[in-house]
Amino acid sequence: MQYLAYLTFGMYLFLVLGGGLVATGSRSIVRAFAGLLVALVGVAGLYFLMDAPFIALMQILIYIGAVCVIIFMAVMLTMASRGEGYESKLKSPAKRIMSMLAGAVMAFLLAGMVMKYPLASTVAPRHIPVAELGEALLGPYALAFELISVILFVAMVGAMVAVYERRK
Amino acid sequence: MTMLSTYQLVAIAMFSIGLFGVMNRRSLVGMLIGVELMLNGAGLSIMAAGQFTQTAGALAQLSTLLVMGLAAAETTLVLAIVLIVDKRFGHVESENISMLRG
Repeated sequence: MQYLAYLTFGMYLFLVLGGGLVATGSRSIVRAFAGLLVALVGVAGLYFLMDAPFIALMQILIYIGAVCVIIFMAVMLTMASRGEGYESKLKSPAKRIMSMLAGAVMAFLLAGMVMKYPLASTVAPRHIPVAELGEALLGPYALAFELISVILFVAMVGAMVAVYERRK
Repeated sequence: MTMLSTYQLVAIAMFSIGLFGVMNRRSLVGMLIGVELMLNGAGLSIMAAGQFTQTAGALAQLSTLLVMGLAAAETTLVLAIVLIVDKRFGHVESENISMLRG
């Protein structure tokens, strides 16, 4: 059974890293978008492995259902109408190396911290029933719950006001 | 290597790939994809930190949910900004958007 868990972890890891690399490396925006979708599915799988099925389903619902559709709308409304599925000419190699360096330095610093000061970790993830999540949202974390609703509302209204155009 | 560090290394890899994407992309939509990857890496790290240590109950899962909500709000606003930029400049390439006059 344990090997099965490792196998699943490896598969999700492959989805996350492969999807991420396609999402950042591909010249075609639609292909990059498909890579993002694959990476998000991989993260949802990792949440399942961490014994958090509710959050995994939320990941699929919010990220794949909402955020990705919004990004696809952005592609459709800005690039597709002019037939520009691709980004224009690639950046100069120096800039590409600089951006790779930015990511790599960040990764080495953070990974070094994680490897040097490991926290006490349990082997199996903790099981938290969904009912407890609901009670926490309506109890101690009610303010955060209300605030995120307000933020979502303000973002939606702000987006509508920003793109609204009075008829001439 | 503990379970926590394994998951955190995955999260760091995802974050760094996203950072590379934000730096490397020319169009605003491509940069948005990079930002989403970075946010997902952060969420993964928070979730691992809660599920594999003795923190207070549901805190980590709810924090991850909060990050997702913020990402959704951020994406909505960025879509609006991308639409405005496209309307005003006729393209969404970040390097050519340098006009300051209103």
